[in-house]
Amino acid sequence: MNLDVHALRTFSQLAHSGAEKAAWSLSQLTGIETLVNVTKVELGTAADVECEFREHDFVSVRIGFSGGIDGRTILAFDRDGAQDVVEAIMPGVEAGDELATSGLKEVGNIMLGGFIDGWADHLDTSIDITTPTYLDVDSDGPLDDFSMGDDPQQEDDHVLVFRNQLETVGKPVTFYLYMVPTAGAVETIVDTATDSEEALPIETFTAFSEMIAEGAEQASADISAMTGTEAVVDVSRLSFVPIEGVPMQIADTTRVGVVLEFTGIPSGYIAILFDESSSERIASALLPGSDAGEAMRQSAIQEIGNIITSGFLDGWANRLETTIEISTPRFVHDLGPAIIDPLATELAQTQDYAFLIDSTIRTNTDEFTCDIYALPNQVELRKALDQLTAQPV
Amino acid sequence: MEVYRSEPPARRTTDRIKVGIADFAVGDDESRLSTSGLGSCVGIALYDERAGVAGLAHAMLPGGEGKDDVAKYVDTVVPALIAKMESEGASGRRLRAKLAGGSTMFEFDSTDRSVGDRNVAAAHETLAEFDIPIDAEDVGGDHGRSLELDGSTGDLHVRSASVGEHTI
Repeated sequence: MNLDVHALRTFSQLAHSGAEKAAWSLSQLTGIETLVNVTKVELGTAADVECEFREHDFVSVRIGFSGGIDGRTILAFDRDGAQDVVEAIMPGVEAGDELATSGLKEVGNIMLGGFIDGWADHLDTSIDITTPTYLDVDSDGPLDDFSMGDDPQQEDDHVLVFRNQLETVGKPVTFYLYMVPTAGAVETIVDTATDSEEALPIETFTAFSEMIAEGAEQASADISAMTGTEAVVDVSRLSFVPIEGVPMQIADTTRVGVVLEFTGIPSGYIAILFDESSSERIASALLPGSDAGEAMRQSAIQEIGNIITSGFLDGWANRLETTIEISTPRFVHDLGPAIIDPLATELAQTQDYAFLIDSTIRTNTDEFTCDIYALPNQVELRKALDQLTAQPV
Repeated sequence: MEVYRSEPPARRTTDRIKVGIADFAVGDDESRLSTSGLGSCVGIALYDERAGVAGLAHAMLPGGEGKDDVAKYVDTVVPALIAKMESEGASGRRLRAKLAGGSTMFEFDSTDRSVGDRNVAAAHETLAEFDIPIDAEDVGGDHGRSLELDGSTGDLHVRSASVGEHTI
């Protein structure tokens, strides 16, 4: 299976218009005005997806589809969001009881049906959907019994996931619409979109995704060594997003961290962000016993930013057999989306979509959480991917 | 009044209208239009007090000749916003503007001139072309901003992490 930026754009646009149909369906059904915030095309493993569902304590509805294309689609709410939706369609019904469950199944049916209709329209084909299955914490995972190809799904098999973040306008409820096509379905769609000259085998993207995961592991190990607190990689993701979607997916809260520029193959920008209390705790961990002033705290954050960036990127340079230079970390304390916005804007001057790398590292004790966002420049990333393609597997 | 969106029309159930990045929206005198996370991006608020029509745009880059994504660029989003407001009963001659954003949060080695500065300059230029006076602005600096436009007064509330909240 080969993929290129054109195919990914087509996927992204299809998923976005499908999600808009789904949002519109929900608005019609419940009167809850809903907008599609961000659409991402992600390359992950089935295990990543299952893990995300467990960690977010999602309440979700799953629907299978087949015909013109095959796969699975899932609507996921956090628990409070599910209650709000149930309340809107059936006032007085408690979440968790049978009526609420069937209400959510109906919402899932309507939204996911709308979503799949969008794809069927574009591909000029017909797609059948199965009856909805309600999934709760104790039930099956979202991808149980799902397989990309003819062989049974393995935990570390790569899947292409379309992840749409939707948001209601009044009371803010965020929910997610996932679509995981089978390999055959991806091929069908790619055939209509790919410029074969530029396409890269999906294994290249897989290798890149693994390289990112290794970088995050190294960064996490370095943080553990520096702070003396065991840190783990929570998420490590490679996704393809419209450039304006990069800042939009970030919560509108105040963050502390650093921003750096990296140059080489590839070049781009990195932001390493902590929430305010995490940054306080990490600065204290690095400056034990001293009554450090603001300037010392800032330089402690810059130092950890440097360490994380090196950990994150050194492995890339080794793997790609290139040199990646890192600028001095710039300290930042501002609204999260406003920090990312100038980075996305720099790239927006030459590209409409971006590969976004995001990783979350946190301690088991929840002492701190650290988000790493990397935005490589598309042209140089392409060179890096070519380099990966040329390497023996 | 219906709220403009590029997606299918949703039944309107709230007076709060969220404007994304590379996006714009129009509301009435009961609307509160908000947009968050302006770094180098610029927010352009237009208001026709008599008609009670308010519009807010969140543009990423100064110029967009030949591009189809009108909402992404200052020079294309301003005429689109004006046209939409006029279709909702506003008069181009009565429109007044407020600007916020366009900061230079970081100076990168790879950039020549700050996108924030260029965005603000493009907003001045484009509004001048349409003879729209700028009543107030909170632009530049090195901090981010989130905005809320009050459709009943034309007040633009500007929130930032470092400077706090104020109204222009």
